Amino acid sequence: MQPTRMLPNRSRTSVLVFLLPPLLLYGAAVLFPILQSLFLSFFSWNGISDMEFVGLANYLRMFTGDDIFWRAFANALVYLAICLVLQLGGALVVASLLTSLRRGRELVKTLYLLPAVISTVAIAFLFVRIYSLEPVGLLNQLFAWVGLGGLERPWLSDVNTVLAAVSAPEGWRFTGLYMLIIYAALLAVPKELEEAAVLDGASRWTLFTKIRFPYIRPVWITTTIMATTYGLRGFDIPYLMTNGGPGQSSELLTTYMYKTAFTSTDFGYASTISVFIVVECLVAVGLILFLLKRKADA
Amino acid sequence: MKNLFRAAAVAAVAALALTGCGGGGSTSSSNVAPTGEIKPREISWLLSRPADGAVINIMKKLADDYAKDHPGFALNLITTPDRPSYIQKLETLAAANKLPELFDTDATPFAQQLAKQGKMLDAEKLLKTLGIYDKYRPGALDYQRFDDGSLYMVPFQYELEYIWYNKALFAKAGVSVPKSLDDIPAMCTALRGAGITPIAIDGQDQWPLERYVAYQPFRAAGPEFVQKLKKGEAKFADAAGQKTVNWMAELGKAKCFQDGFSAQGYSDAQNQFTSGQAAMYNIGTWELSSLATDKLNPAVRNDVDFFTLPTTAGSVTAANEFVSPSGIGMAVNAKTYDPLVSDFLKFALEKYPAEYAATGALSPTTDVETTVPANATPLYRKALDQAKDLGSKQAMPWDTQLDPTTNTRLQQELVLLVQGEITPQQFTETMDNTIAQNAPKFFK
Repeated sequence: MQPTRMLPNRSRTSVLVFLLPPLLLYGAAVLFPILQSLFLSFFSWNGISDMEFVGLANYLRMFTGDDIFWRAFANALVYLAICLVLQLGGALVVASLLTSLRRGRELVKTLYLLPAVISTVAIAFLFVRIYSLEPVGLLNQLFAWVGLGGLERPWLSDVNTVLAAVSAPEGWRFTGLYMLIIYAALLAVPKELEEAAVLDGASRWTLFTKIRFPYIRPVWITTTIMATTYGLRGFDIPYLMTNGGPGQSSELLTTYMYKTAFTSTDFGYASTISVFIVVECLVAVGLILFLLKRKADA
Repeated sequence: MKNLFRAAAVAAVAALALTGCGGGGSTSSSNVAPTGEIKPREISWLLSRPADGAVINIMKKLADDYAKDHPGFALNLITTPDRPSYIQKLETLAAANKLPELFDTDATPFAQQLAKQGKMLDAEKLLKTLGIYDKYRPGALDYQRFDDGSLYMVPFQYELEYIWYNKALFAKAGVSVPKSLDDIPAMCTALRGAGITPIAIDGQDQWPLERYVAYQPFRAAGPEFVQKLKKGEAKFADAAGQKTVNWMAELGKAKCFQDGFSAQGYSDAQNQFTSGQAAMYNIGTWELSSLATDKLNPAVRNDVDFFTLPTTAGSVTAANEFVSPSGIGMAVNAKTYDPLVSDFLKFALEKYPAEYAATGALSPTTDVETTVPANATPLYRKALDQAKDLGSKQAMPWDTQLDPTTNTRLQQELVLLVQGEITPQQFTETMDNTIAQNAPKFFK
């Protein structure tokens, strides 16, 4: 009689006891800085001057008076799109091919995962060399060898190519990681279902869209959220490779925020931008959940 | 409470855990001779100089010597050679009121705010009290001064910036040393025609390109132009401003800089010049050991020479006036200044020049003779001798002059202007607007 009622009670207390420390830590390390940024975003402060309350002036400046902000926002979206296509699209393709591979799966997996464990700085320097024109880097050399010499260009100095050029290394880097997650999900698809479908005459494409993909959808949602939030927070590779240049061609919201805070010492305005980044990430996650859930229910 | 909040607020932005916060400094910036007992302790110098460079090696040695007579003394040198990273570190520490006893800074608007708040010791008074003020080269001190003439930093170097060139490549393209700045675009066209990269430049670090924008106004309107420009009292739309904007665009059109320069670094640029691919390279005497000794590639060693910044028709500054920086200066924290810091500085600053000159570098003082290294080429002596005949004006690097936001924007827009992505009109408009928006906050 009692035990059935006691157990939920006891577990509620123990759940609380065990959850409280990490929650407090989370509050102190994540929520508190976010709230403080929100607070700072209403001030004008350069670090050594007196803090001056300016109300919504920083937000007004961000939305109406700052051309670099909008440029950086648009760049961040393009950066995100390229990263997502490379990371999720690439991961899905490679993972699907892996499942049909009979030998050497481990080797391929390891090779694809390798970039994820190399340090960011090394990757940035590596790609600066690859994209270089004077002296000729790998990419331009390849174009020259296959007779596409007309495509040779300084990829990181050309305002039309630089954004794609700084996005690609970030996408390339984590393709292997997401591939591993999706591959694990694909392995869990019941073989009987697939075999039954094949017996019924389903094509490979139908097999994928009707059986495999619906089965891995929960994992896919998580992976998409991870990749999107990482993409929106992307900072290190563009910062190291071009520092946002030439001009503002590869400036992302994150690099712009960083410069505003630590080069211009405009901590108030930098906080305003960081508040925007937080909101942007939350909106993106909400949107993904909404779209993918609705599809699943349909 | 307020201070505590400030520190916490910085932590929010910097994600740095900064605990506690000292109270505001009650010491005055002009009390250069503190009285009391010398109590040896460890002091720190936050600096932005090469880790194995002459300045750090000498100061380490002098600190060790001082510690022999003052047991318990130690000089903790914390260097961040990468300048942008260093400035960020300095500004974050300043915001948290956590500056160490000694710290490096240029005569930037930010430093001037620190000085106004009484956080830095008056260096002119300090050097006069130590009795060494008159030994310094006036130019070396002037470089450290704020616009109002006040001096808060002590120089440790003295450098002259030259345009190094390759005589063989000049001959191949049929060009000679330019008589005027305005000759350079045509030279570039001729050099490109002969398949030579005209100028090797480190675009990644951005200050090298920013040097070029300072040249025409320095010739046309003197050093006052940038002092007015940064406050919004002069404009890029003015005659001297337009001259430099158009000249920069011409340099770009004539393809003066190597292709893809904006993504190339310091050593990339130097390699292009020392490997004989590029005809010109603009750098200071801090590179003498690579350009004027037997370390230089033998294939170009006899072809390398230099010229100083060309003048222009109607130039208001003379040929012997150009960029002659005394490097980033050392400021003394007024709050932590005590008999020990004072006594150590007296000891170190008196002994420093002789040690520094012995390494083959130009001392910021005139009381010592630079030792030319044994492996030097004749160019080494020639480069040093220029220091004996300099005018009274010098071209200031703009990155130390403008407010940080304007400076960042200028560096970005300059690349676009030189690459031909924007027109001189667009450049002028953007930059004049940026200055109008940001200068008032810094120079009120």
